[in-house]
Amino acid sequence: MPGSNYKRKRIVSFPRMGNIHIPICALLKEMNAEIILAPPNNKQALTIGTRYSPETMCLPYKMNLGNYIQALDQGANILLMFQAPGTCRLGNYAKMAEMKLKELGYDFEMIVFDLYGGKFKEIVNKFSRATDNKSITRAVKGIKICLAKFNALDKIEKELFYLRPREKNFGEAEKIYNKGRNLINKAQNTGEVKAAVDQTMAEYKQVYIDKSKEILRIYLTGEFFVLLDPFVNMDIEKELGRLGAEVDRQIMLSEWMGQSLIPKWLRKKETHKERATRTAKRYMTRIIGGECIESVGDAVYAAEKKLDGVVHATPFNCIPEIMSQCILPHISRKEEIPVISLLVDEHTGKAGLITRLEAFIDLMNRNRREFRHCEPKTPADVC
Amino acid sequence: MKIGIPRGMNYYNYYPFWYGFFTYLGIEPVLSSPTTKKTISRGSELVVPETCLPVKIFMGHVLDLIDNKGIDVIYVPSHQSIAPKIYNCSKIRGLPDLVRNVVKRNFLLIEPTLDKSEKNQGLYEYLYESAAPLGITDKKLIKKASKAGWEAQNNFTAMLRTGMNFHKAMNNVAKGKFINAVEEDNRKYPVNVAVISHGYNLYDSRVSMGIFEKLEKLDVKAYIPEHLSIEQMKKGFPVLNTNLYWANEYEMTGAAGYYLVDKNIDGILTLTSFGCGPDSIMIERITRFAKKYGKPLLNLTVDEHTGEAGFITRLEAFTDMIVRRKRESIIKSFSRQFRETKEEKLPQSQVAGFKQ
Repeated sequence: MPGSNYKRKRIVSFPRMGNIHIPICALLKEMNAEIILAPPNNKQALTIGTRYSPETMCLPYKMNLGNYIQALDQGANILLMFQAPGTCRLGNYAKMAEMKLKELGYDFEMIVFDLYGGKFKEIVNKFSRATDNKSITRAVKGIKICLAKFNALDKIEKELFYLRPREKNFGEAEKIYNKGRNLINKAQNTGEVKAAVDQTMAEYKQVYIDKSKEILRIYLTGEFFVLLDPFVNMDIEKELGRLGAEVDRQIMLSEWMGQSLIPKWLRKKETHKERATRTAKRYMTRIIGGECIESVGDAVYAAEKKLDGVVHATPFNCIPEIMSQCILPHISRKEEIPVISLLVDEHTGKAGLITRLEAFIDLMNRNRREFRHCEPKTPADVC
Repeated sequence: MKIGIPRGMNYYNYYPFWYGFFTYLGIEPVLSSPTTKKTISRGSELVVPETCLPVKIFMGHVLDLIDNKGIDVIYVPSHQSIAPKIYNCSKIRGLPDLVRNVVKRNFLLIEPTLDKSEKNQGLYEYLYESAAPLGITDKKLIKKASKAGWEAQNNFTAMLRTGMNFHKAMNNVAKGKFINAVEEDNRKYPVNVAVISHGYNLYDSRVSMGIFEKLEKLDVKAYIPEHLSIEQMKKGFPVLNTNLYWANEYEMTGAAGYYLVDKNIDGILTLTSFGCGPDSIMIERITRFAKKYGKPLLNLTVDEHTGEAGFITRLEAFTDMIVRRKRESIIKSFSRQFRETKEEKLPQSQVAGFKQ
């Protein structure tokens, strides 16, 4: 009966991706929604998702499907997903997942955020439909706290990137970060969010760091789902930090959110995509969907900033990233910056990943040493 | 003046247009040689292994034009979107960017962009970008040339719809001929199969392993997406409960949907290259609905390592299965008719007559 469906208690769930649940939960809670979260991305979710997906489908879809099934088993009945045109297979996720889950016999409603046109209005409308809450003031308040949490999370994460390779006792900063993340998660209003950030930053100051240590600087780029989810990328940032490399990453939650939500005329500084389009111009002139232009542009940007190397992480068989994988070696040669492409899928093992990262770090260290030994004497004698 | 057109990707859909357009402007289009094993291996060297087969072949053709034919102007258009918010696959969209970065030769790359989602990137801008690097900037002339292009393209489409062989139609276009006669085909085919795939997979006989000749040998009549009009293909989308998302989805989902509910078609064959992103979604949907409509479906995945023997075995098994199925259904319907006539209690004499 359609009537009974409407009256049923609405329990919302959405796919997991790193820390994205913290701000989204804040917004939904502000709008009085009941939420069931799938457990953080794990092997089991991936196995379930892989079982019900087409063979050559990309990893994020498999992960999302696994999350949905785990959440539905716990009693969720409203699923959220967003889609945008001109990206890649992402635009088909919601449609496919809905069909597959209905086929598996689940009873639920799928609410899809169409980021085609009026973005802000669409978000408010869909969230109020999901939560059955019509109050605009609550929605605005919710969005405010949601954005504050996005920014707060990024702020403490960026600081962590700085501390990780430099700290004397590895893992200390990570503990503070996790604590800060929990504080932000629990914060009820923007004031508390700010207090949580301040407290975390103060605690970071207590971490004993080795300032004289020589640090390699690496630019991390690639597909956003892989970069933002620590399970999928196998803690690549942590491993790089352990090996003594500082990670620089532009694909952050707030950056990505602001880029897709805030209208053009409200933006003050150049967004990541605009910067990437500018720097990539010599190699790539078209935006071809996904994060291809970002990957290409970031590699050139890293070379301009004289960083030591670029790590490019992507899921196996991602259409736009295959293009950037083909173009990156060319950039590496022309701009003289080492680039490594790391592919992840459901069969990737952590040991292989670490071996490759170690080799890459060795290569960059050698590059640095060589560069120091043969300082150019005359302009023509550049090595 | 000569312009090199690689025999790959969009060549199979839009070459007649380019042919008409460039010859009107006095530029001679030169095609690369048909795909060989060498084309594939030389193309594969340039790109990462996960790239799909058609792109590898395309790269091989670009090399063939430059190295073997001595052409130094290569035409690689980028078809971003064919209608507002209907985009192509990323690899087709970024094809010129890829060629520019991976082909390390000295040549002039002509890279027009067709993007109907943007305001100023329609057909005429696309054609202007195609002709301007060759020194033709007269917009009126370009408009006229585009008409010549459309004429060739329409002739080609019309010839294909009459059931003409693809390569024959392409040859006719290249000679400037138009033959509007339905070919007499008195051969009786016991099995009709729809072969669904993108043009660059289907008509490159290296990729499709000469699927049409093989089917012909097995007494199977092949129906292709090019036999259908856009309107017919549009009817296929509601059958599969979906709408247009990819720019080249008509020839896959649309055609498959149309043939799924067509009573004359006994089975559906889909051909995809390994690692094709859009196809992985479309084929899944087609498979699901084929099951629902009770139509046999065989999905063949090809890459540069696919062997011909395995291909033939699967085609034979599929045809055998369809023949058995058809025979069974014919026997069933006969026996049902027989039972019905018996139940009507016919006069004894007639039943006796049947026995003889």
